[in-house]
Amino acid sequence: MSVLAQCGWGRGGKIERGLNDGVINGVIMSPRDETPDRLENIINQWGQSYPGAIVLFDPQFYVANLNAPRDGHLGEYDYYNNNSGLGRAQFSGTRIRNYVRECLDYQHDTFGNNLTNLVSPSILFDGFRDNWSQIALNLAAESADYHDSGLGKPQPLLISIVVSETAFQAIDAVEEFLDALTELNVAGFYIIVRRNANSPQFAMEPRPFANFLYFCYVLSEINEYKVIVGYSDWQSFLLEAVGASNTACGWYQNLKQFSLDRFRPSLGGQTPRKRYSSAPLLSCPLINPELEDIYSANLLSSVLSGSNHDSLLIGGPLTNEPAWTNEVSCLAHWFSLTSLSHRILAQTGIENKLRVAELIMQDSALVYQQLRNQGINFDTQTDQGHILDWQTAIREFRTITRIYDANEFSK
Amino acid sequence: MAKPNLKIDDIQQIIPQASDIELVDDTSGQKLVFSGIISGIKYALKFMKPNPQLTEEGTFSERLDDVTVRAQREVETMGQCETPYLVKIGPISLETEEFDGEPIIYFSEEFIEGENLKQYLQSNGQLSASDLIKLGSQISEAIDSLWQHRKIHRDIKPGNIMRRSSNGDFVLLDMGLVFDFENESISLGPVGTRIYFSPEQMDFANRRQIMDFRSDLFSLGIVMYEMATGEHPFIDPITKNSFDVLRNIANMNPTPPVDIRNDLSNELSDVILRLLAKRPALRFRSIEMFQRDLRIASERMA
Repeated sequence: MSVLAQCGWGRGGKIERGLNDGVINGVIMSPRDETPDRLENIINQWGQSYPGAIVLFDPQFYVANLNAPRDGHLGEYDYYNNNSGLGRAQFSGTRIRNYVRECLDYQHDTFGNNLTNLVSPSILFDGFRDNWSQIALNLAAESADYHDSGLGKPQPLLISIVVSETAFQAIDAVEEFLDALTELNVAGFYIIVRRNANSPQFAMEPRPFANFLYFCYVLSEINEYKVIVGYSDWQSFLLEAVGASNTACGWYQNLKQFSLDRFRPSLGGQTPRKRYSSAPLLSCPLINPELEDIYSANLLSSVLSGSNHDSLLIGGPLTNEPAWTNEVSCLAHWFSLTSLSHRILAQTGIENKLRVAELIMQDSALVYQQLRNQGINFDTQTDQGHILDWQTAIREFRTITRIYDANEFSK
Repeated sequence: MAKPNLKIDDIQQIIPQASDIELVDDTSGQKLVFSGIISGIKYALKFMKPNPQLTEEGTFSERLDDVTVRAQREVETMGQCETPYLVKIGPISLETEEFDGEPIIYFSEEFIEGENLKQYLQSNGQLSASDLIKLGSQISEAIDSLWQHRKIHRDIKPGNIMRRSSNGDFVLLDMGLVFDFENESISLGPVGTRIYFSPEQMDFANRRQIMDFRSDLFSLGIVMYEMATGEHPFIDPITKNSFDVLRNIANMNPTPPVDIRNDLSNELSDVILRLLAKRPALRFRSIEMFQRDLRIASERMA
């Protein structure tokens, strides 16, 4: 099992239930949304209660170079508060050394072995060849050095990489950056991709997504690093197919996809409409009207994921909509992601994993076709565009890596 | 710049404690190599002519010339690295002297009885699979030893690898082109032997940022491929045209060694091909990983 809870505001009892139900394998904590005292208590408590779970602390240092961010409790953490509002000039060698020390010392001293890994501080960059990417590399190299020599028996280090989706447009730049990253002698990477603000779909565009898959593949399969991808939502199973060891997803939209909007002044908004997490569709149809329409067409069973929570919908999604709470929705979503993850991880070798991932998408496209034949329509967030994009991305990934499907040739 | 013009009698005069002096190699453009016995042990004795730099006023600069700096780096490197698979410094470390009105510099190093892999290939043909694994394992240890001092060799080729006649071990020679990441660069352009360049070795301007020990692994991959198949992976075996070799190194995917020589295992063939990946990130990120995969290939063969 490889899905982790991407934590944020409104945690409630979801994590404990998710861990107890076996639908998540650990958590990535968000200091922005917890006071230092509470975070310390929780992590140390989980370390004792769930010894097999993966517990990570995302330092969210990338917020430190945003202008007037909505940074919640981050200001209560010394490693962040001493260093907020950073411009490029504030990333000299000495300063980078200080940021790294304060951030890693905090994790090491406060949580000790209750964290599975230490996570390095990083900043957000938009392109693999821009000046900020060089600063990110300097932070990574300094973290690796300090981890090696400056801490007594620390937990293994993950280097965090926070990068915009647009950076993955050009494969050359991706490869250059990989050459530099793979010089690092660390346990692995914690990767966050900042999504385009204007992107209507939760799926990345095919070209950048293929290159992102390649990025994860080179780090994990070729170089044998542990790769954890945050905010990965439905893309998780594809990332796992190319070698990611863990993926993470939270309960609100801003914990499923990473965007800086979470750290900017709120513009308000409506309560999101309730959705059902459908593993067969690889998306979350609206309970009203989409799931209700599917129910009316007598096709509900074709889109159910198979969790215990499905029983709330069997008598008609609309009837029990009030019982489909935020917590239930979150647990059901983790269940869907984990069930897909199981299918991928049951395979050995990337060839088999890719083949199963392709079968999952093929099956999904067939369910969409069946529903469409019954006159059921979906909004842009739910429609099958993402599957077509992923299929294109996987084809491109196969071309880049020359990992072809042997069965395809024998047909 | 030329090599010094020295005869055996001259060497005897310069190093009176040496006996049984013989000429070993005068084919290099810069170095003259003799052998001689000092305190009962045979050593290689290497002589070079410094390349003094003129100042704007036409006098000799006090700055050390590139030949001397390279020789210093070579001697320092041999002294630093402890692996048995890199040639060792002998009892004479770097000396400078004026002989017959000409400045010379010289040093001694371990004399290795055996033949280099270029000679071996010509006289014996390809290496056995188990010797290929030994070659990869031992020369990668030499590469690792250099990298521990933040150095890369930059000129790994069959002519620079000796096979000891006593035990069949492989030893990497000639640290004259070593690139030291901790020190100033000496070269003004790409150095090394073009047909053994890694793709990133051609990008001279950015070498400090983009090169590391994985560049040496690429060159080792070419040597292993050649010693496995008898063919250079980036030179057309029929036309033998090496004109396009740099372009091929950058762009061409070589034929898997197992397709040329079918007694090799797929595992060993894959390991060699992985060394030849165009991007460093696609090779091995540690010598340990490379040696582990070699061990697996070896176990499969057994």
